[in-house]
Amino acid sequence: MMRASPVQDCLSSSATRRDINGMSTVWSTPEDLQGDTLGLCDRSCLTRWGVKGAGAAAWLTALGLPVPQHPNQWCALPEDGLIARLGTTEFLIEDGWEGAIAPQLAQQMANLPSKVYPVLRQDLAIALTGCAVPDLLRQTCSVNFQALDLTEQPVILTSMIGVSVVVIPGDRAGRPFYRIWCDGTFGVYLWQTLVTIAQDLGGGPIGAAYLYDLELGR
Amino acid sequence: MKRLPPISGEWIDRHQPVSFTFEGETIPGYQGDTVSSALWAAGRRVLGRSFKYHRPRGILSLANHDVNTLMQDGPKLNLRADVVPVEPGMDLMAIHTFGGVQGDRATVLDRLSRFLPVGFYYKAFLGKNQFPFWERVIRSITGLGAVDTTTPRLRTPKRYDFCDVLVIGSGVSGLTAAIAAAEAGADVVVVDENARAGGSGHYQRGDDGERSRQTAALVAQVQQHPRIRLYTDTTAAGYYADHWVPLVHRDYIAKMRARAVIVAAGAYEQPAVFRNNDLPGVMLASAAQRLIYRYAVQPMERAVVLTANSDGYRAALDLAAQGVTVVAVVEMRSQPVVTDPVRAVRDRGIQILSQSCLYEARPNPGGDGVASVVVCPLDADDQPQTGFTQTLACDGVVMSVGWAPTANLLYQAGVTMRFDETVQQFVPDRLPAGILACGRVNGVYDWEEKQRDGQRAGLAAAHRLGLVDTAPSLERAIAPECPSHPYPMMAHPKGKNFVDFDEDLHYEDFIHAVQEGFDNIELLKRYTTVGMGPSQGKHSNMNALRILAHLRQLPPDAIGTTTARPMFHPVPMAHLAGRGFMPERRSPLHNRHAQQGAVWMPAGQWQRPAYYHQPGLTRQACIQQEVMAVRTRVGLIDVGTLGKLELRGPDAMAFLERIYTGKFSKMKVGSSRYALMVDESGVVIDDGVVARLAADHVYFTTTTSGSARIYRELSRLITMWQMDCGIVNLTGARAAVNLAGPRSLSLLQPLTNVDLSPEAFPYLAVRQGAIAGIPALLMRVGFVGEWGYELHVPADQGQALWDALITAGKHLGIRPFGVEAQRLLRLEKGHVIVGQDTDGLTTPYDANLGWAVKMDKPFFVGQRSLQILKQRSPKQLLAGFTLPERFQGNPPQECHLVIHKGDIAGRVTSIGYSSSLKRYVGLAYLQPELTAIGTEITIRLTDGSMVTATVAPTPFYDPDNHRQATVSREEAFV
Repeated sequence: MMRASPVQDCLSSSATRRDINGMSTVWSTPEDLQGDTLGLCDRSCLTRWGVKGAGAAAWLTALGLPVPQHPNQWCALPEDGLIARLGTTEFLIEDGWEGAIAPQLAQQMANLPSKVYPVLRQDLAIALTGCAVPDLLRQTCSVNFQALDLTEQPVILTSMIGVSVVVIPGDRAGRPFYRIWCDGTFGVYLWQTLVTIAQDLGGGPIGAAYLYDLELGR
Repeated sequence: MKRLPPISGEWIDRHQPVSFTFEGETIPGYQGDTVSSALWAAGRRVLGRSFKYHRPRGILSLANHDVNTLMQDGPKLNLRADVVPVEPGMDLMAIHTFGGVQGDRATVLDRLSRFLPVGFYYKAFLGKNQFPFWERVIRSITGLGAVDTTTPRLRTPKRYDFCDVLVIGSGVSGLTAAIAAAEAGADVVVVDENARAGGSGHYQRGDDGERSRQTAALVAQVQQHPRIRLYTDTTAAGYYADHWVPLVHRDYIAKMRARAVIVAAGAYEQPAVFRNNDLPGVMLASAAQRLIYRYAVQPMERAVVLTANSDGYRAALDLAAQGVTVVAVVEMRSQPVVTDPVRAVRDRGIQILSQSCLYEARPNPGGDGVASVVVCPLDADDQPQTGFTQTLACDGVVMSVGWAPTANLLYQAGVTMRFDETVQQFVPDRLPAGILACGRVNGVYDWEEKQRDGQRAGLAAAHRLGLVDTAPSLERAIAPECPSHPYPMMAHPKGKNFVDFDEDLHYEDFIHAVQEGFDNIELLKRYTTVGMGPSQGKHSNMNALRILAHLRQLPPDAIGTTTARPMFHPVPMAHLAGRGFMPERRSPLHNRHAQQGAVWMPAGQWQRPAYYHQPGLTRQACIQQEVMAVRTRVGLIDVGTLGKLELRGPDAMAFLERIYTGKFSKMKVGSSRYALMVDESGVVIDDGVVARLAADHVYFTTTTSGSARIYRELSRLITMWQMDCGIVNLTGARAAVNLAGPRSLSLLQPLTNVDLSPEAFPYLAVRQGAIAGIPALLMRVGFVGEWGYELHVPADQGQALWDALITAGKHLGIRPFGVEAQRLLRLEKGHVIVGQDTDGLTTPYDANLGWAVKMDKPFFVGQRSLQILKQRSPKQLLAGFTLPERFQGNPPQECHLVIHKGDIAGRVTSIGYSSSLKRYVGLAYLQPELTAIGTEITIRLTDGSMVTATVAPTPFYDPDNHRQATVSREEAFV
């Protein structure tokens, strides 16, 4: 096992794990049902890649990928992946559980056109789900997520408990479903803080299987 | 006193008895009671002692302003008994007594009051010699509660909240405003500090249930409205720019961001000033009505009502309805408006003493309550005619002489207030955008008019949000009567007619302060300390202002008000501290360090291993062993905290030329170079290593603390200079280690596909390859002065790299080393650490880094300043020094001063014991004339003793860099 999640040492040792994309990932835990209230899931194992530069949008378009028209928007990719426009010229591409677009893009690193620059993404990637997600967000972030129009597929670049994060709000099966990315070196701090607050709210860490089923509508 | 039969709308739950102890006595109560209401119901009159004179005090406002009844429950300090709900098992003590409220030994101070005049503190401290005495005395007899330092930290949540319209206050006007705004489509939040909504509509009944029924209907409408959230038990504690309002609940603090704010906070009822107006049993009318209708407690048995408005008559009716004998209504006005409550009082046959005042209250024999009051008629100038007094026996006095607007948040929001003579209070004059006021705070007291005012405010807020087209008029209706008496103050030759109950200030204190020249409201406040107690003047500022206006014969408008600052009520420190979010970064190798016994040290936001603890060894021994491992075998240090930036594009090298002092355009691909960065003034701000990976691709490092700052600045410069390159911050995305020592080559070679032979991979070369299958960047650098490699890999594979190196290095004696060993190793080499050996004024020339500055290029940031600085003689230079080989005693430490001829001549920036050299070595800034090799310098230690050192050349260790140029055949093939 080569890859390690930024929060691998914070994850339950008694959980069932699976190797996903070369990373040992918590697949299920006895507490997964707390995801109905508030679950935090480590999704760092998903493959992702970044690209920036004035030519990035055109390059992605030429590859046949759907490119968000405006900054702070995202589009869906095949296999439940996504492409998020983090600014005028910067993009984050993340695969779903079964996608492989990001590694394909990474392989093209040596042949990038001018004004296109690769960005190595080594984020802590987590997802929040459950009815108490808004309560958690209110304690950790100053953005009014409730006021966002989810049909516009917003991407929020903000600060959460003092850490720069990218947030994509959404819902799955009628429940809040928020994806969050941050610099992996802040990962343990962010994870532990969110878990502490989540536990106060009746939630806690859950395994990827809970989200896997949720995201694939099972 | 007694508990009344059940009353419609009471807040107590008689099915849930609650008992607690107060100063050792068990007190019964009910769920919903406050501490004060339960104590009053149990017949306790003395609930606390005053701050200065230790006079007995009871209920005054029952509205969160009774600061003479602060109590302590274990570690919980300064609980306001008038609003804190009773809980089973509470063990309460009144604070600030010497022996409890009944037997307080400090009551002697009341008899010494004439020796404690206004401005006592300033006068007592005037004499320098007396200061220690008075400090001791005052410290011993003052203070609010006893802090228990063992109290566990409470991590009270903080949260953000949002709404379109925030309504502060849930009285009738606030409720109406909320409904109007919500009906127009706004998302509304209503906050109220009380446990239940409704405000005075619930308890100012005048023995007429209609008002409370209407109020209950409004509350129900608000509770059921889908666009209104009602937060009770929540105080709007302040107003900050852009409609930020902290909402304080006992369990959390919320930072509310609203698009519009409606202040419907009502008004504070104000006390009348007469002798002994502080006796237990003398209370505000609203306090008596709260006791009755919230807690079903009879306030007294025989009451005298002092009034100057219809509210006093309502209170008289409410008292009478609950079986209290209303001895008389003492009416201060000469021509009161005959309203329905006035008629009702007359109809009940209650005696009304018109144009009269309470001249004094007289205590009972125990001194803990009222026995009677002395009533005087007033003359045409509202002066008491003391020759015509009459005494009325009673056990309580109810005061209803006026109100002061709860305008604190309006002032904080920048509202301009004006004094309105018709209502005798300050009212909003000019409101900033998005701020509205309604109800009593707006000078509107009439019941129906308050509802219209609320609706106007709600619609105005909705109009501001674009929810309604037409803006309503904000004109107030003319009040049918003035709710406040212009001067409810009665002088008395014996004093004790209190204006400020927090600070025990009586009427004469203000006269004396003005006589002494403190005749400005801000000066008066500070000299008398009026309004500086825990209630922050909520019941005293208006009366103080009236007294000053009266003494200066000016209208209140000309006097002005003092500044209202957040917080509205004191906020527990636990709320302000909250959870304490302190972002911390961890290297991807953090757990590997922990497993090997790392002792941590902070480095900016990072936690880094200072050293690795070895059982049985001291800190210093551990560090020295790590140093020797690097010097003689091989060591491994995590350098992942360094800033790691990547620059790509045709202008990449040209950009580096502009931001660093050195030259880079002719660097060979596959090589690296030291890089120094200065700011516009030529001060050293950062350094690192630049590695050229391709013609248009460089990878470079910054200091640990500089990464984010440097990345932001470089991004800005690329944009500003419109350069064709892009920068990426990889600090968190890459793990990095430094493998150093004579055996590093032989350790690494079997793990990598890169040819590490000195010929193929010379000093300062850079290669890309794989180590143990992990894609890696390899750099031949020598910060610690040994053959070594800096290895950079993707962060998620950092642990795999570490494990591979440690495993492969076991037979070579590998040892992880920490920051302390690294600092010592580089010190032996005389290498500078930016931030430790430089400060906010250090230029490259000061730090002996002039070799890294290439002035013969067109431009770089700071070049112009350095051209000027180069012409000047430096004031200080960084030089090496050593202590004698057999030095005994305490060595100097970083920041110790170099003393020359009695003056400061420099300071130590780095020092450490070199096992290799068998002596202490260090770096220090010195006056240039002291930097000649062999010069003896004197360093002053913390205890004042002096240590002599000798200026020495650097590097101290391996001055010719042989260790990095060659590796012995033996070590290369261990």
